Amino acid sequence: MADNQSSTTAGKPIRCRAAVARGPGEPLVIEEVIVAPPNPHEVRIRIICTSLCYSDITFWKMKDPPGCFPTIFGHEAIGIVESVGEEVDELNEGDTVIPQFLSDCGDCVDCRSKKSNLCSKFPFQVSPWTHRDETSRFTDLNGETLYHFLYVSSFSEYTVVDIVHVTKIDPSIPPNRACLLSCGVSTGVGAAWKTAKVKAGSTVVVFGLGAIGLAVVEGARLCGAKRIIGVDVNPNKFEIGKKLGVTDFVNSGSCGNQTLSQVINEMTDGGADYCFECVGLLSLVNEAFACCRKGWGKTVVVGLHKLGSKLSFDSFEVLHSGKSIRGSFYGGLKPKSDIPILAKRYMDKELNLDEFVTHEVSFEDINNAFDLLTGGKCVRCVIWMNK
Amino acid sequence: MEKTESSKTAGKPIQCRAAVARKAGEPLVIEQVIVAPPNAHEVRIRIICTSLCYSDITFWKMNVPPAIFPRILGHEAIGVVESVGEEVDEVTEGDTVIPTFLSDCGECTDCRSKKSNLCSKFPFKLSPWNHRDETSRFTDLKGETLYHFLYISSFSEYTVVDIANLTKIDASIPPNKACLLSCGVSTGVGAAWRTANVEEGSSVAIFGLGAIGLAAAEGARLCGAKRIIGVDVNPEKFETAKKFGVTDFVNSRSCGNKTVSQIINEMTDGGADYCFECVGLASLVHEAYACCRKGWGKTVVLGVDKPGAQLSFSSLEVLHSGKSLMGSLFGGLKPKSDIPILVKRYMDKELNLEEFITHEVRFEDINKAFDLLTQGKSLRCVIWMDK
Repeated sequence: MADNQSSTTAGKPIRCRAAVARGPGEPLVIEEVIVAPPNPHEVRIRIICTSLCYSDITFWKMKDPPGCFPTIFGHEAIGIVESVGEEVDELNEGDTVIPQFLSDCGDCVDCRSKKSNLCSKFPFQVSPWTHRDETSRFTDLNGETLYHFLYVSSFSEYTVVDIVHVTKIDPSIPPNRACLLSCGVSTGVGAAWKTAKVKAGSTVVVFGLGAIGLAVVEGARLCGAKRIIGVDVNPNKFEIGKKLGVTDFVNSGSCGNQTLSQVINEMTDGGADYCFECVGLLSLVNEAFACCRKGWGKTVVVGLHKLGSKLSFDSFEVLHSGKSIRGSFYGGLKPKSDIPILAKRYMDKELNLDEFVTHEVSFEDINNAFDLLTGGKCVRCVIWMNK
Repeated sequence: MEKTESSKTAGKPIQCRAAVARKAGEPLVIEQVIVAPPNAHEVRIRIICTSLCYSDITFWKMNVPPAIFPRILGHEAIGVVESVGEEVDEVTEGDTVIPTFLSDCGECTDCRSKKSNLCSKFPFKLSPWNHRDETSRFTDLKGETLYHFLYISSFSEYTVVDIANLTKIDASIPPNKACLLSCGVSTGVGAAWRTANVEEGSSVAIFGLGAIGLAAAEGARLCGAKRIIGVDVNPEKFETAKKFGVTDFVNSRSCGNKTVSQIINEMTDGGADYCFECVGLASLVHEAYACCRKGWGKTVVLGVDKPGAQLSFSSLEVLHSGKSLMGSLFGGLKPKSDIPILVKRYMDKELNLEEFITHEVRFEDINKAFDLLTQGKSLRCVIWMDK
């Protein structure tokens, strides 16, 4: 079914392969599924390739709600429009598109404001459905509903995505680079560029050198940061960090009697201008706050923490320090305007995406990607749909 | 001793009246004290008038460290230079000056940066001493040391203040208005003006309509905020608050089943652009954060909470909301440059200071000022030194 011409499949269900997660933590099963045609305001996409992000793993392992099964995971991808539903003018069959979990309706107060990327018309929720009518476009061969993931569900040869979750891009960018802009790299680069607005000549600390942290490093480098300190428990991360712009490495396991923030305050003579937490550990957010510079330092929370967890700060310290705290969701980027900008920066050889792709597998080996990421052995593993 | 000419007293100790706090929570005692001449980099000032700020009450009532007794409290004041120590070129005898608890050395990285008002050379601490050599300039008639308060100790006819904590101002501003710029009004106005940088046409919510909250309202009004919502438990505050630009009032005791933040979110259709917490209660900071607008809202903490108080936020909310959290010390103002600006704005009839002064007493009746403020019956009570 991989190379259907849209004239033969438009308006009809498509039967294709998908990697279905049937239970928490269980290896995905490649099976035939039925993908319904797109409803109004929706687009059906043939996925070219998709990459694994830690958020897929988090929800794949989750036994309690909002974890739910059976689900088609995957949310970082690139594809080609196979057919469009009614009311879709923005895209045509054959367009190259990147789906993204964050909506961009272009119409609401937030989308029209320069200061926000949090679409109010289609607010983000961890939902198992499509965004507009809360139903599913996927069924298995027994007719059982398969749940969507983050409005994208890219671990399938075909998927159906709402137009507010799709960005058209220049097809000349290699797909195994473009797919990274669908989530992880955009999130990290944006956190430095849009949320923190890192200034040239400044000092930055990045806690956690996974794909997100490395993307923050890349973003800070592009903004002209003079010093980028990378913090991780794994010293192997330093080599790849260096390629993206890390100037100093701190092994958080080797601080001796000192706390991480004490070490960094010494290195920076009083704290960094910007600290980014890119792991999702409450204690690291506090360390980040403690070593961002008084007076003007910004602490940016990028990592996804355990649901229900609370961040806690000393009130006196907040009052007296002049430091600020802010989260960054999708790097503060507006997908439809900012993803094309990043794609162009890659084509202009300014933005480094090559280093992020450490592994590539074919669709049937998708579980290898899960093993590599849970084992901390890859940055981004790209999964190719085509045989 | 009030009218000694400086040529007679320069270089010698001065015996004068001071209101001494000898025990936590007990009425101050007006007694004769000895004020040593200023050391190098210090200035001895004759206080014209001083006003009572809630921080004086907090440390007067406190019977554990960092409170300490016997102490000369008071930190919001205006005076005239009686004599200067060596190395002081900035002011001379006869100059009108405002002391500030926050230092401004003009030389360190923070003082030279536009982005910070937190002097690193003389960092703010709750110290019982003067800044530079950590000794006291006060003794009682038995020779017992009397502790300083916030580097100022203005409940005394004469005091000794470091030059880093003094701002020279235009003598033509009425002293009972000028003294307000020494702490409370500057803190509130600055929080809106400098820390939050309130934009014209925006909506603001202010929690706590004491002098600080009203000053924040005044600052927001001067910045052109379109809507200023005042929140307090006391509905009588609304009439006064209107004079400072408050457009809507929320009685936090009359919210029924709803929380204050729910009410404000409804009133503002999604949250205010800026929320200022001006009481010093973690629960109010949480309410403020909950009703500042997602995407771009700023929550500014101004109130001083109990030592050890923690501010706690859902980590998912921080990550997803786009809201920023920050504190403001002395309104983010640099005393020596910004206080004269506020003086001028008062003289140009733009900044309202009159309405803050609800009571005036003579020095011997200073305890009345304490009663009025602890009972919530005053905003600012000015204490005049001269008979």
